[in-house]
Amino acid sequence: MSFIDEDEALIAAALNGSAFAWEKLVKRYESKIYNHGLRLMGNSSDAMDLMQEVFLGVYRNLHRFRGDAKFSSWIFRIAHNKAVDLNRRKRILATGGSSDDEGPDLDRYPDEHGDEPESRMQEQQQNGQILSMLTQLPFDQRLIVELKIYQSQTFEEIAEMQDISVNTAKTRFYTALRKLKTVSEETHVLP
Amino acid sequence: MSCPKTEHILQEYFADDLAPLASEEIERHLAQCPICSAELNALLQTRDALAGWQDSQVPHWDRGMELFRREHQAPRTENSWFSSWQWLPTGASLAMLCVLLLNTSVTVSGSSVSIEFGDSDNADISANLADFQQQQQQELQSIIARFEERQDNNNIQLLQAVVAQTQQATADNLDRIYTYFEEQRQQDMETMRVSYQQLVDSDYATIQSLQDLAQFVSFQSNVQ
Repeated sequence: MSFIDEDEALIAAALNGSAFAWEKLVKRYESKIYNHGLRLMGNSSDAMDLMQEVFLGVYRNLHRFRGDAKFSSWIFRIAHNKAVDLNRRKRILATGGSSDDEGPDLDRYPDEHGDEPESRMQEQQQNGQILSMLTQLPFDQRLIVELKIYQSQTFEEIAEMQDISVNTAKTRFYTALRKLKTVSEETHVLP
Repeated sequence: MSCPKTEHILQEYFADDLAPLASEEIERHLAQCPICSAELNALLQTRDALAGWQDSQVPHWDRGMELFRREHQAPRTENSWFSSWQWLPTGASLAMLCVLLLNTSVTVSGSSVSIEFGDSDNADISANLADFQQQQQQELQSIIARFEERQDNNNIQLLQAVVAQTQQATADNLDRIYTYFEEQRQQDMETMRVSYQQLVDSDYATIQSLQDLAQFVSFQSNVQ
């Protein structure tokens, strides 16, 4: 028996011209992709740019999605590639490509939620602290942390996606975790 | 103080799958070495803190709908009837305001000015308001009925598209997909109902405030 999941149903309908299905499909993933972008890029504006590029990429290539892999894996692979591109473009624009450790701008992030209720404020504060730590990492280490901790990928999957060896992926993750530990001890940003 | 094995032990600790022998070796070393053990605890604490991320809300965006509609040449009418209906309560409020204003008469006699709101009484205004509220409720029911009909059509179109695209679809799958769409539809309906009710309530409250204001001004004028 063939199995059709909700994503595939929505994709089929969207390919058939249903704007309703396309909107449903976007709604199912926009939060995951936006938060993925926020953690990688460090600010809401770049996260929005990334999310829009991702969904544009999905839209343009939807007819190529064959269902061999899950749609969620497919869209996150697109997001990964777009994030790498966006980071490269930003680095070139900002420094002429010389620095790898440039931290994304965090200025706009905490101020955007001034009218939120207290619980929401606490949540944003916690996210802000996590972002301030993540942005201390070089982009390649931040990517590994994102894929390992937030996407729960195996080192084998990470190695394949980043075109590195499994051992390099493991070492990079360990190095990143140690650096994050040091940052959190220095700044006492985490409990 | 440091331990020469820390890096190797901890790097392996975070590996996805360890052979039982390697795992035992790591556990044995951690039990004996306070340096590695303390380092591991600190790293685990850092990892747990990172995992405390709570998804932030996505800022408003158009979800690529403009592009989708343009490229599929879909008319904007899919939602537009509802968009225009959204302004109904506000329009009705304005109409009520006009009614109140038209019923206002200003009389100048000598040095005093007398303002009256219609020939009327509060009972008339209250009756008007009750009618207005009832009318709003009926319109709400009518909009919900139309929205339901539209949603049903959407579901049918989706299912037709799925069947067309995936010839091997089974009845079970279709049932499951229909259930999913049905749940989504119910959620949309509830969201719409609540939003609209809030809008109606807020307009009703505005008109009541106007009524209070009118009574107050009328009272003041009569006192003069």
